[in-house]
Amino acid sequence: MTTDAAFGNGPLRILIAEDNHSDRMILHAILTRQGHEVVMATDGMEAVEAFHREAPQMVLLDAMMPRMDGLEAAREIKAAAGEQLVPIIFLTSLSDPESLASCLEVGGDDFLSKPYNRVILRAKINAFRRMRELHQSLQNERDRTHQRNEQMLHEQEMARRVFDNIAHRGCLGAENIRYEASPMSIFNGDVLFASPKPSGGVHLFVGDFTGHGLPAAIGAVPLAEIFYGMTAKGFAISDILREMNRKMQAILPTGVFCCAAMVDLNLKSGHAEVWNGGLPSGYLLRHDGSRDELRSRHLPLGILPADRFSAACERHAMEVGEHLLLCSDGVMESVNREGEMFGEDRILEVLAGGGTPSDVFERLRGAVRSFAEGVGSEDDITILDVAMAEESLLEAVEPEVLPDTGAGPLDWEMTYELRNETLARFNPVPLLLHICMDVPGLRLFSGELYTIITELFNNALEHGVLRLPSSLKDSPAGFSRYYSERERLLGEIRHGAVSIRLEHRPDPQRRGGRLLIRVEDSGDGFSGEALSQSLAHNGLSGRGLALVRQLCNNVRLCGKGNCIEAEFVWHAGRGESRSGVSEEGNSHE
Amino acid sequence: MSDQQHLDHEALTELRDVMEDEFNILINTFLQDADERLRQLSEAARAEDADSFRKVAHSFKGSCINIGAPILAECCFAAEQAGREDNLSQSGQQVAAIEEELATVSEQLRRYVRE
Amino acid sequence: MSITTEQSDDGSTLTIHIQGRFDFSSHQAFRHSYEGADSSITRYVIDMSETTYLDSSALGMLLLLRDYAGGEKSDVRIVNCNGDVRRILTISNFEQLFQIDD
Repeated sequence: MTTDAAFGNGPLRILIAEDNHSDRMILHAILTRQGHEVVMATDGMEAVEAFHREAPQMVLLDAMMPRMDGLEAAREIKAAAGEQLVPIIFLTSLSDPESLASCLEVGGDDFLSKPYNRVILRAKINAFRRMRELHQSLQNERDRTHQRNEQMLHEQEMARRVFDNIAHRGCLGAENIRYEASPMSIFNGDVLFASPKPSGGVHLFVGDFTGHGLPAAIGAVPLAEIFYGMTAKGFAISDILREMNRKMQAILPTGVFCCAAMVDLNLKSGHAEVWNGGLPSGYLLRHDGSRDELRSRHLPLGILPADRFSAACERHAMEVGEHLLLCSDGVMESVNREGEMFGEDRILEVLAGGGTPSDVFERLRGAVRSFAEGVGSEDDITILDVAMAEESLLEAVEPEVLPDTGAGPLDWEMTYELRNETLARFNPVPLLLHICMDVPGLRLFSGELYTIITELFNNALEHGVLRLPSSLKDSPAGFSRYYSERERLLGEIRHGAVSIRLEHRPDPQRRGGRLLIRVEDSGDGFSGEALSQSLAHNGLSGRGLALVRQLCNNVRLCGKGNCIEAEFVWHAGRGESRSGVSEEGNSHE
Repeated sequence: MSDQQHLDHEALTELRDVMEDEFNILINTFLQDADERLRQLSEAARAEDADSFRKVAHSFKGSCINIGAPILAECCFAAEQAGREDNLSQSGQQVAAIEEELATVSEQLRRYVRE
Repeated sequence: MSITTEQSDDGSTLTIHIQGRFDFSSHQAFRHSYEGADSSITRYVIDMSETTYLDSSALGMLLLLRDYAGGEKSDVRIVNCNGDVRRILTISNFEQLFQIDD
């Protein structure tokens, strides 16, 4: 009833074009008595003029008229109406099918035959009025949809900027990294991160969230924060993965997760640690043309509870110039005009296509692009390629430094002791580094400090608490035995302690300071000779302490040889701390 | 002449309903137009203009149907067909037939209006 | 895409057949297929013999079913996977969560 009131009874403005005077009178009478407003024309030309002038909502048109006939008038009226639906009803006593067909061809919507009948005319007008109104509401809906789409694109653009503010500071621009990713890829659920580690080397991350649009993008923000935040603080890849999984599992609803691969590229030691959970196989491309497959070994992030999640990585040695390639499933799922998918076989074809490891990225990208040419790819593609490089390469890429407020602690000391099983489970370095980073200006030396604290802690743990002889590391076979022994002993550890004392004093001008790092373990201690040997050692073993010695102004053994004290003197502005050993520092020895 | 009625009384009743007090004006308008149509038809026949003959006959036929004059409409239709076939050989008789029927219709309509 | 179900004679097993592409467009149909089923169901079998393709949102739907079926204690089997479907399940390591029979 309400629709009838709205649709059926309101008056319309109707144009009648009919050359017969008496017929016109009859139509006029029928329509005005039904409440409509009537505009009259006696031929086609008048009809078109009246249409422009009066903008009627419906037209009754005699097919055969002088000057301009009804067919031509209909064509012009339809063209003038544009997107508006103006129904044209042909008034006709035409009876041959061909003439009727040509009425429809020029845009006629219906016929009314003579004699005119008011009941039929009312029914036809009402039917067209409903059609008009439906058309109008469809158009409004379309305009609204268009508007909403515009707004959504605008919002996505804003959201992307917010996301870029969190994720932009990566080192994706580094010389040894190449990648393919759409600027709006985050809304396809793809994420790509790279960040230099304080200890040297790079963390890389390729992720692919389930779904599309905002739900896919929403998890990317915390993920980026965890990745960049924890990497900058020196956390290890496994800690970061665990935290990512925990966070994703906590915030994402069941059924939404993130297929991901993460790489810890260690330039110093020339190896890559790789974790793959749900991404297609990545590849390590060797100089000799061979390749190692980096298969997905884990469930994607955000599915398993923390106690069942495994952050175990595969470790691969890499020579300088060898490449590591990762891609999201968008590559395999790219579709060509025939609806075929690019597929794993085509990827393998590209990999087997010869050339050097550094060519593969361009060749793969080219192959996918030409395969999917002219097709709106279903899932955007994300490809990451990273080459093992000389350590010096990343020095140009500084991790982003937050502006110093100058308000942090300058004069302080602390002791932190890890005991018993905790030694096997917890890496204290990120926490300690985090504390040091609060000293205004010291952040610039995070790389050095990370190395110093890590080496001293490992030295205390491995040689002091676990009593591993460093001589084991003298041969390559022993080197790997050393690490398996380390794993085994850590698993069995019940007693022991490592205590780390940090003490910072500002220099009088407050343009730098002195950080004392003292690490003591529960072991039996070094002989002084062992230390000096260790410090001088250039082989596979003992590199750790030699490094500390290089980075610090003063390193000395104290206690019964179970304690090492290192002094790091720094000056605001980079590059001065390493310049030689401080005389003052030496005098304490 | 067929048995058919010259006027369709049902149609006229309906028209009277629709037109209310304009009914008489409608009938007068029809009759005036009809005379004009008849003149145009004779003209087209004399000029041997088949297309014009067809168009006028077609239009005339339409108003005859609406007014309720079926026999007159049929006469017009025959003329329209001849014009369409470009055959004006019978046009003289056709115009005569229309003229004769129109006279009858006209007379009956005037009587109907007076009733 | 179409989804049909059948219940075993003893009422304990619900088999869900998925025909064609299994992707986000199947979301509602897939959920209804098990949410509307009898409470006597203790085992779910996803028959993929006519499934041509599986995307990551389908993996998400499988996780939702797993949750619905009791999470860790659920009994959900995925059977008759073709090569492509199997590959995606393997990449995602879903063997750790579901019993998958080829």
